Amino acid sequence: MHVHELNPKRTVIAMVIFVVVIVVGLLTLTNPRLKYNVEPPQAITITTDFSSGVNAKEIDNLLSASTSPTILIDIRNHYEFARGHIASAINISAVELLNKENIKWLNELKEDQATVIIYGESHLQANSPWMVLQQLGFDNVTYLSGGYSNYMQFKNTKGENNEFATYEADKAKYNFAEIAKETLGSDVTNTSKKKHTIVKRKKKGKATAGGC
Amino acid sequence: MGPLIPNEIITGQWDFVIALLIGGAFGFVLEASGFSSSRNIAGVFYGYNFVVLRVFFTGMIVAMVGLLYFSYMGWINIDLVFVLPTYLNSMLLGGFIMGLGFVIGGFCPGTSYTAAAIGKIDGMVFAGSTLIGIFLFAEFFPLFEGFYYANNLGNITIGEMFGLSNEVIAFAFVVIAIVAFYVTWLIEKRVRKNMTEYKFE
Amino acid sequence: MNKNYLFLALLMIFLAAGLLFLPERHNYQQIKPQDLMWEAVQTTRYVTVDQVANMIIEGDPTLELVDVRDIDEYEKFSLKNAVNIPFDSLLCPNYQDYLGIEDMNVIFYGNDDIKADQAWMIARRMGYQNLYVMNGGLNSWIDCIIKPQRPEETASLSEFENYEFRKGASIYFTGSKIETSTNKSSVKVVRRKKGAAVAGGC
Repeated sequence: MHVHELNPKRTVIAMVIFVVVIVVGLLTLTNPRLKYNVEPPQAITITTDFSSGVNAKEIDNLLSASTSPTILIDIRNHYEFARGHIASAINISAVELLNKENIKWLNELKEDQATVIIYGESHLQANSPWMVLQQLGFDNVTYLSGGYSNYMQFKNTKGENNEFATYEADKAKYNFAEIAKETLGSDVTNTSKKKHTIVKRKKKGKATAGGC
Repeated sequence: MGPLIPNEIITGQWDFVIALLIGGAFGFVLEASGFSSSRNIAGVFYGYNFVVLRVFFTGMIVAMVGLLYFSYMGWINIDLVFVLPTYLNSMLLGGFIMGLGFVIGGFCPGTSYTAAAIGKIDGMVFAGSTLIGIFLFAEFFPLFEGFYYANNLGNITIGEMFGLSNEVIAFAFVVIAIVAFYVTWLIEKRVRKNMTEYKFE
Repeated sequence: MNKNYLFLALLMIFLAAGLLFLPERHNYQQIKPQDLMWEAVQTTRYVTVDQVANMIIEGDPTLELVDVRDIDEYEKFSLKNAVNIPFDSLLCPNYQDYLGIEDMNVIFYGNDDIKADQAWMIARRMGYQNLYVMNGGLNSWIDCIIKPQRPEETASLSEFENYEFRKGASIYFTGSKIETSTNKSSVKVVRRKKGAAVAGGC
C-alpha cells in the first residue's frame, strides 16, 4: 500500500520561495521619508495649549528683535500673497513645506534654534499645517494667532489692547445655555441634554468563516 | 496595502473569484498530501500516520510567520484581518464532533470533497451526508441557540488573551509544532514496527 | 528521518526567531504626513451649519455629531443627539467605537471651528474616515440658525431662500417663534398697461 508523506523536495522548494519573498521584502523595505515624531496623545497636549501661538501684538517685536532669527512663512496662495502680506514673509504653501528641500531647510532652522512662524488668512488655515509640522517634530514652529485678517484688523484699528491684539481661539461668543433658555420653550429645555450612546464594536473585517 | 477588499483596493465582488482560486489550491494540497485516503486521516487516531497533523501544523506556522513578516513590511494590515469570534461551548463540542467524524468517517469536510473528486464512493457519501447535517443543524438551530452563543469571548486572539505580542506567540507555536513533529515521528516509528504494510524510512 | 526535515525545522525556527528581533517599525495604520498635510489644506471637510441643520431636521441616519468641548460646556448646551468626546480625551479607548463606525459621517463641532478642526486632524491621522468639521462651530450655529439675520433687500434670491430655511430651522430648534414673521405676501399688482393709446375718436 502506498502511503503519502510530505514530499521533502517539494516542501523545500516551497520553503525556498517563501524565504526568498521575505528576504526580498525586507531588502526592498524603504523607510518613509517623513515620520511622526510625536505620538497622538502628546500631539493633543501640544495642540490644546492655545497660548502657543504668536499674537498680532507680539509679532512685530519678534520680527525686529535681533536676538534670535525668526522666519515668517505665508502659507496662502500666490494671489493672496501678492495682494498683501506681512513684510519679510516668505510665500510657501503648506503642501510645499513638506518638500524634500523645505524639510531639509526646516531641519536646519530647527538646529539653529530659529523660530518659524506660519500664518494663513485665518487662524484656522494655519492651525492644521502647524499641527502637522508639530507632529513631525518641528517644535520651533509656531503660528500667528488669528491669521492675517486678524493682524490687518489689529493694524487698522491701531489699538494696543483690543480684541484683535490677543486673538482667542475657540471662544464661545454667546452663553449658549442662556440662549437656549431664552429661546426654548421652558418645557423643552432638557431635551438637548440627553446622552446619545451608540454601542457597536468596530468590526474586524468581513465575516467569512472557513474550515477544513 | 492588504487586505485587499477591506482596504477597497478591489471590490467585494472579487471575493468569490479569490475564494475559487484559494479553494482550488487548497483542494490540490489536500489531494497532493494524500488526504483523500481515509487511512491517512484516521491514522492520526491509531498512531501510524500523522501526516494530517504535520501538513496542517506546517501550513499554520508558515502562514503565521509569513503574515507577521508581511505585516512588518507593511504589505498587510493585520488589524483588518477578520478574527473569528470564539464561542467556547460551541468550539469544544464542535471540535469533539469533528474529531468523531474524522475517526468514524475517515474524512474531514474538505477532504471528503477531494475524495469525491477522485471518484471515491465513500467520499461522495460523506460529502452528501455533510449537506444533510447542515440541513438538520439549520432546522434545529433554535433548540440549541442558547448553547451555541454561550461563553462568547469575542474576536479574540491568543496574543490578546494572554497579553503577549503576536511574534512571541508565533515563535512559541513554531517550537511547539517542531516538537510535535518530532514526537509524532517517534510514535509513528514505534507503531509501524508492528505493521507489515508500512516500510519506514 | 530525512535531512531535509531537519533543515526545514531549523529554518522555520530561525524565521520565527527573526520576527522577535526585528527592529521596531510602526505607523502603518496612521496616514502619511504628506497625505495628512494635503488633506489639511483642502476645505472639503467643512460643512456649513445650514447643512448640519438640514441633516438634523431630516433625521439623516448617517449623521453623528461629536461635541469636542469640555463636559460641563456640553452639559449646558449641545446640539440634538450629539455625543460628547472632549478633545483631550479623543484617544480614550472607550470613545474609539464612536469614530470608527462604518457609513457614519462624524461631524465635529466646538465653540468655534478651531478645536473641532484639531480633533479632525488627530482623528484623521489615526486613520478614521468620513470625518467632517462644522464650519464656524456653535457661534455660527447661533448666528445663522437660532438668530438668523434678515438679508439686505438687495441680496440675491438664493440668500432669501436660505434665510427662509434658517427661520424654519430656528423655529424647529427653539420651538418658538423668535420674531414675528415679516413675510408679507407681496402681491404685486400688475396693472394692465393700457398699451399705446388707441387712437380713436370720431
